[in-house]
Amino acid sequence: MVASAWVCLFSPLVGALTITLAGTRISRKTAAWISTLTTFIAFGGALVAFIGLSAEGHGDREIVSTAYTWLESGDFQVELQILLDTLSSTMMLIVSGVGGLIVWYSMGYMEGDDEERRYFAYMSLFVFSMLLLVQAGNFLLLLVGWGLVGLASYLLIGFWHHKPEAVAAAKKAFVMNAIGDATMALAIVLMIWTASGQTGFLEVFALVEGGDSEISNSTPITLIALGLLGGAVAKSAQIPLHTWLPDAMEGPTPVSALIHAATMVTAGVYLLVRASPIFEAAPDVQRLAAILGAITLLVAGVIALVQWDIKRVIAYSTMSQIGYMFLAAGIGAYGFAIFHLLTHAFFKALLFMSAGVVIHHLADEQDIRRMGGLRSLMPRTHLAFLVGSLALVGIPIFSGFWSKDGVLASSLALGGEFGWTLYVAGLVGALLTGLYTFRLYFTVFHGEPSDLVKELAHNGHGEGPQSMLLPVGVLSVLATIGGLVVIPGVWEPFIHWIDETAESVPHPTVAQDYATSAIAVFLGLVGFLLARRAFVSGRQLVTRPGIWRVLEHKLYFDELYDALFFRPAGAVSVALRRNVEEPVVERSLDGIGAGTIQLGGEVARVQSGLLRTYAIAIAFAVAVLVVVFVAAR
Amino acid sequence: MDGPDVGWYLIVAAILFGIGALGVMMRRSPLIVLLSLELMLNAANLTLIAFARQQGDLGGQIFALAVMAVAAAEVAIGLGLIVAMARRHMLLDVDQASALRG
Repeated sequence: MVASAWVCLFSPLVGALTITLAGTRISRKTAAWISTLTTFIAFGGALVAFIGLSAEGHGDREIVSTAYTWLESGDFQVELQILLDTLSSTMMLIVSGVGGLIVWYSMGYMEGDDEERRYFAYMSLFVFSMLLLVQAGNFLLLLVGWGLVGLASYLLIGFWHHKPEAVAAAKKAFVMNAIGDATMALAIVLMIWTASGQTGFLEVFALVEGGDSEISNSTPITLIALGLLGGAVAKSAQIPLHTWLPDAMEGPTPVSALIHAATMVTAGVYLLVRASPIFEAAPDVQRLAAILGAITLLVAGVIALVQWDIKRVIAYSTMSQIGYMFLAAGIGAYGFAIFHLLTHAFFKALLFMSAGVVIHHLADEQDIRRMGGLRSLMPRTHLAFLVGSLALVGIPIFSGFWSKDGVLASSLALGGEFGWTLYVAGLVGALLTGLYTFRLYFTVFHGEPSDLVKELAHNGHGEGPQSMLLPVGVLSVLATIGGLVVIPGVWEPFIHWIDETAESVPHPTVAQDYATSAIAVFLGLVGFLLARRAFVSGRQLVTRPGIWRVLEHKLYFDELYDALFFRPAGAVSVALRRNVEEPVVERSLDGIGAGTIQLGGEVARVQSGLLRTYAIAIAFAVAVLVVVFVAAR
Repeated sequence: MDGPDVGWYLIVAAILFGIGALGVMMRRSPLIVLLSLELMLNAANLTLIAFARQQGDLGGQIFALAVMAVAAAEVAIGLGLIVAMARRHMLLDVDQASALRG
C-alpha cells in the first residue's frame, strides 16, 4: 500500500525524465503516450493505496513512510517522507485521475504542435509536483512541491512562447505565486524555530495541540497561520492575489483545465484543510480565510458576467468556486471543502475541456461574440458543456448540487452574524453562478450560427479526435454522478472519510441541508431564467455602461497594483539611478579610473631613462636601508 | 692565521667599492661604467674572501667564484651591447641612451 503510494508519486517523474532525455529519438505520439500512461500508472498506484487505506481499521489510517533523511543539522532533521491518510489519498486520486484524463485529452488537442514533446514533459512534471505537494509528509517537502507546481505552471502558461501575452501571463503568475511562496516559507521558518525543529505534519500538529510548546503561543501561531494563508491565497487565486489566474488562460486549454481548474489552484484549499490544527489555533486567521473566500466568490462571479473570452469566464467561475472552498475551510467544514474540490475538479475540467473542443474546432477562436449556434453542429460537446454547466450551477443530482449546498448549509449551521453573512454571500454567489454560466452557455451554443461557425462548419474533421472526446465523456459521467458520495442524512461516507484527518466543526442538520438546497436551486434557476431572457431579447446581463466598464476592467485590480507597486517601484528605480547610480556610483568609478591614470602619469616621470639617475637612486636606497638596519639593531 | 687583520681587507674593499660606485654614477662612457661595475663586484669578492679566510670556511671562496662567473657573463652582455651601439653609430654616452623614459 505504501509502496503503491511511492509508485504513484514517482511514476510521472519517470515519465517527464524519459521524455526529456529521449528528446527527438522518440516520436511525438510516443511522448504523448508515455506521459498519459505514467499518469494513469500513478492513478493506479493511488487507487491501490486508497483501497489499502480503507481496509485499515478506523484510526489506523495515518501512515508515514520515510525514504531517507534529506537534511540533517544537529537536532534539525528533514526526511523525504510521505504521509498517507484519508485526505492525501483522496487528493492523490483527484490529481492523478483527473490529471490522467486531461493529459490523454491533450494528445488530441496538441496534435501537430511543433513542441509536443516539451509540452508532455512539462505536463508530467506538473503532475509529479502536484502529487508531491499532496503526499508530502512535512512542511518543507510541501513547500518543495508548492514551488515546483509554480514552476510547472509558469512553464505551461508560457508554453506558446512566441505569443508575448502568454509570456507576460506566465511571468505574472510566477510573481504573484512567489509572493505566496515567500510568506509560506517565512511561516515555515518561524515554525521550525518555535516547534523545536520539527517539520513533520503530525509532530507539529501534536505540539500545537499539546499547548506547552512555544509554537502554541498566540503570536507565533497567528503569524504562522497568516503566512500559510498567504501561500494558499496566492496559489488559489483568491483576492487580493488573484490577478494572475484570468491572464493564465493564455496557455493551452488542457493546461487551463489541469492547472487552473482541477488541481493546482485547489492546492490552497488542501493546505487550509491539511494545516487545520494550526488554523484552528489561530481562529482569527481562519475567519479571514472564510471572509476572503466570500469576497472572492462574489467579486469573481460579478466580473464573469461581462467577460467575452470563453476561457476567462470559466477562469472567473473557478475563482468563485474556490471562494466557496475557502469559505468552507474557513468555517471548519473541511469535509465539504474537499468534497466541493472533488466535484469542482470534475465539472470544471469538463467545462474547460469542452470549451477546448469548441476552441479547437473554431481554429483557436476564444471570443464568444464570434461563436453561437454550435448546438446542432457539435451535439456531443454541447451535451458535455451542458452537463458541466448544470453541475456548476448546482442543479439536483449533478455533482455540484451536493457539494455547494453542503458548504452553504455548513455556514448556516455555524450561525451567528458571521455564519449568516457568509450564508447570504454564498447564496448570492449561487445566483451569480447561474447567471454567468448560462450567459456563456446560451451565447456559445444557441442562437444563429455566426459567420465564423458557418465558415468552419464543414471542414470535415467532426467534433474532434477520439482522444479528446473520450476523456470529455468520462468526465461528463463523473460530473453527473460524482456527487453521489454524499447524500445528506442518508449516506455520507466521503465526509466521514475526510473527518478522520480533519474533523469538521459545523454539522448541518438534515433540515438545514434541504432548506438550503431548495433556496440555492431556486436561485440557480432564477439565474438561468434571467440569462435566458436576456439572451432571447438580445440584451446583456449588465446594462449600465458605467458598471459594465468597471467590471470589464476587473474592478481595476490590475490598475491598482500598477499604481501601488509597479509605478512606485519604477519611480524609485529611476530616482535611484538619477540620484545614486549616476552621481555616486558611476562618478566614483570614473574617479578611481581617472585618479589611477593621473597617478601613473606622475610616477612615470621618475622613470627618466637616465642610467646614472637609477644608479644613484639604488645607491641612495641601499644607504638608507643600511642606516635603518644598523639603527634598528 | 697569517697576514694583516681582516679589517684592512675590508677597508680596501670599501675604497674599491666606493671608487666603483662613483664611477658608475658619474662617468658617461658605457665602457667606463662597465669597468666600474667590475670594480664593485671585485670589492665584494674581496670581502667574501677576507671573511672566508677569517672564518676558515670555504663557502665564501666558492661564492666569490660564482660572482666571477656572473661578472664574466655580465661583461659579455655589456660589451655586446656597447658593440651594438657602436655599430649603429650611436654616441657612446649613457645619458643619450634614454629612449625608455616614462
